[in-house]
Amino acid sequence: MIQSKKYYLDTFGVTEEQLRAITETAMATGGSYADLFFENTSYSDLMLRDGEVTSGGFHIDYGVGIRVLKGERTGYAYAESTDMAAMLSAAKAASAISRGDRPADGSIADSKGYVPRLYRGAPNPAADRYPILKDWRTASASEFIPILNKLKDMIQQRDPRIIKITAVLQDQVSDIMMYNIYGELKYETRPMGTLAVSVIFSDGKTTQSSHVSRSYRMGAEMLTDEVLSELADKAVRNLDDRFAARRPKGGKMPVVMGAGASGILLHEAMGHAFEADFIRKKQSVFSGKLGKKVCDENISIVDDGTIRGNRGSINFDDEGVPAQRTYMVENGILTSFLHDRVSARHFKVAPTGNGRRESFRFAPIPRMRATYMESGNSRPEDIIASVRKGIFVDEFSNGQVKIGEGDFTFFVKSGYLIENGRLTMPIKDINVIGNGPKALADIVAVGNDSIVDECAWTCGKEQSAPVSCGIPTVLINNLTVGGE
Amino acid sequence: MTEGRLTYEEIQAADKALSFAAANGADKCRITLTKSLMDMTGILNGRVDKVTHCLDRAITFSLFVDGRFGTFSSNRLDEKALEKFILKAIGTVRMLAKDKFRDLPPQERVARPDLSGENLGLCDIEAYESMTPAKRRAFALDSSRYKKWPANPDYKVISEEGEYSDSISDIYIIDTAGTRCRQTETSFEYGVEVTIADSKGNRFSANTWDANPHFALLHKDVSDEALKMAVAKIGSKACKSGRYPMVLSNICSSRLLTPMLTALGGYAIQQKNSFMVDTLGKKILPDYLTIMDRPHMEGCSGARLFDSEGVATEEGPVIEAGVVKKYFVNTYISNKTGMKATVDDISKACVVPTAGKPDEVTANFDGTWIEVNGFNGGNCNSVTGDFSYGVEGFVAKRAAGGRIIRKPVKEMLITGNLLELWNNLEAACDDALRKNTHQVGTLIFRDVDFSG
Repeated sequence: MIQSKKYYLDTFGVTEEQLRAITETAMATGGSYADLFFENTSYSDLMLRDGEVTSGGFHIDYGVGIRVLKGERTGYAYAESTDMAAMLSAAKAASAISRGDRPADGSIADSKGYVPRLYRGAPNPAADRYPILKDWRTASASEFIPILNKLKDMIQQRDPRIIKITAVLQDQVSDIMMYNIYGELKYETRPMGTLAVSVIFSDGKTTQSSHVSRSYRMGAEMLTDEVLSELADKAVRNLDDRFAARRPKGGKMPVVMGAGASGILLHEAMGHAFEADFIRKKQSVFSGKLGKKVCDENISIVDDGTIRGNRGSINFDDEGVPAQRTYMVENGILTSFLHDRVSARHFKVAPTGNGRRESFRFAPIPRMRATYMESGNSRPEDIIASVRKGIFVDEFSNGQVKIGEGDFTFFVKSGYLIENGRLTMPIKDINVIGNGPKALADIVAVGNDSIVDECAWTCGKEQSAPVSCGIPTVLINNLTVGGE
Repeated sequence: MTEGRLTYEEIQAADKALSFAAANGADKCRITLTKSLMDMTGILNGRVDKVTHCLDRAITFSLFVDGRFGTFSSNRLDEKALEKFILKAIGTVRMLAKDKFRDLPPQERVARPDLSGENLGLCDIEAYESMTPAKRRAFALDSSRYKKWPANPDYKVISEEGEYSDSISDIYIIDTAGTRCRQTETSFEYGVEVTIADSKGNRFSANTWDANPHFALLHKDVSDEALKMAVAKIGSKACKSGRYPMVLSNICSSRLLTPMLTALGGYAIQQKNSFMVDTLGKKILPDYLTIMDRPHMEGCSGARLFDSEGVATEEGPVIEAGVVKKYFVNTYISNKTGMKATVDDISKACVVPTAGKPDEVTANFDGTWIEVNGFNGGNCNSVTGDFSYGVEGFVAKRAAGGRIIRKPVKEMLITGNLLELWNNLEAACDDALRKNTHQVGTLIFRDVDFSG
């Protein structure tokens, strides 16, 4: 949602003249670029536990982050108050990065190289990817309590083995305003709603659990019966198989990843290594591979900030650069890394709108948005039928990757053994382990069913950021599966 | 007055807010006021790359209104804004369902107000206050070794990324029953990640760190250690799957203790989301395993005088000779379940050593074992305790003449059940690292399933 300029200036109690004065202070010791990031965020949460909504609350986070760049070096400080003294103090602290670097003639240092004045003027309302139809901030908790109760009832009636249900509704609305040394002023209001459910089941002998969620950059209009029903279905999905699931025998084998949530492997094992701060520092395993073939020509991988209402979407990033749909891999060729202004300057390319931050407390760094692989040509059932012995994974969690080496490990929450082209025994609680570039090169079939998952994915690279991930059904030829 | 410490005015604002909440509909109220200041200097390849200055402040209200409960927080402390905030919060709590089990802890369980971080040796105010931007920069640059490492024909250093930071944090808890406790502590830390490439271009990275509440005790050789760890990985590959003894290094051994501590949490037990349900007072682990909670270990990070409710922490066994002695139960879960109230979470878990140094234990080993010194992903099922983790380290073998041959391994997985694993504990060594919150030395387990 984008409101008037006056709304944002009033929210933060500042004038454009003051913004100019703060950036001048930030640049006074010789910085080459400075920007300000104002944020006023309100969070609310409600929790249903043991049958009733018995706890809830709201939280306010308010402040301004001030960044000074000197070449590729960063100075950063923030104030939790927007009175002029506090902001000037933070500006001086941030300018420490360039202390003593001011030219002898007293002039402001050369600021060329930070993509000046590409994004002038007010935001374009046509690019608003998250208009708020029902503002979380003006709605009352009393409107949402019946919704959580309804969700509980919908889940409860789906299976008699349920012994505990916990449901949490969280919403967040952030007024954001950005200003930089070029006089560019950007502003918008970012919503986010998340509905998450944990269910514990018992058949009298063993206990199982499921955790499901839906999250959108939307107002309270996201709470439809359709979403509730989908969550309730997903919470009890394949429950008989969960109770029957076993650990398979481990070893190296083909792994088929199911469409949608398996995309977290793409995010962790490949996506992070495409983030240009790791490339700039030469730490990524993909350093020096731009323009080279990294996988089969049927594979294209995108990082997309433009999907309407998606958790990873943005109108512009936290440096004021418009969001875009960035092809990282196109037809098997590595075509772009994900840039913020710092890495873009280093590589002399335009930033890709990936400069994101958790809040005003953090300097922006290259972060993914919604990362997914585009559909290929194979039918999912044909991919499964092509495997003589392997595993099919439909849900991963707890992935980790080592950027330098590209080695990754992922925990398989649920899936099936594949025997002679058919899904057989349900499996659980195992890991797959591999190497990102090698796994990418080992993808031998890509399904025609790419889905961007709508769970509440949060990326934790130094600071948290809401993201999405997706993938079609794919076959990776050779991964290590940990089992009995 | 140090900028990162709570001021008299801020404490007074919290005290006033408590009275205001009580006078405007809150039957009971707890306020937690926190403040911290952290300065960080980042170094990339021997040059200053980043400088940050972070001052944070927050006030959190736990409100008990008409038998209902809610939690609210803000970082805006001006009086008028806070009063408006409190009135809105009280109105919101009134919309929730009643919960008769919510209450403040009884006064006999809360911490003494005259104790603070100084009593635990957690404050080095003198060193902290003497820090200047120039000193921080000098220390960070001095800790970097990138420009001092000689060229080596076997590998090339790709990058050295280090961070020196120092911080002060202050917490103040008050409630309408009379609780008033405060803890202030300082921390000094240097962490580094080194990435290298071998002669074939294969990359290996390692990171390590040191932290201490006292600046003088901070180690300065962290970068060399990280390089040594990265170099040791050259040539690493998966080894043959099988069951091997696992020597789990003290740098990462607490990783396999944490899920067990989580499973002892009262909330997890109440929700049946724990593999430790119905184990209190039962012997489920070996005789020689004792795990203590030592919240008052002087000068050690993680030490604390009170928990999030202001309840005084105390030293005592969590597992004693294999018997579960304690669940972590706060006032709410205690009232709800009838379980004895303890503290909301463990402070400093200490696995009582059963042996000396790891070499003394492995001196008796024949055949092959795997020394694990790092994890790469994985998970433990909170309900069943079944786990699978990615690991790396060395495969070790005793050769003729008793010499040990070590080869680096990676892309390995360990799989099993946590309770079964701990029942296969061979030894807990006496080499816990002081910098770690939980004091867990090298752990040696029998018959661990490795696949690679």
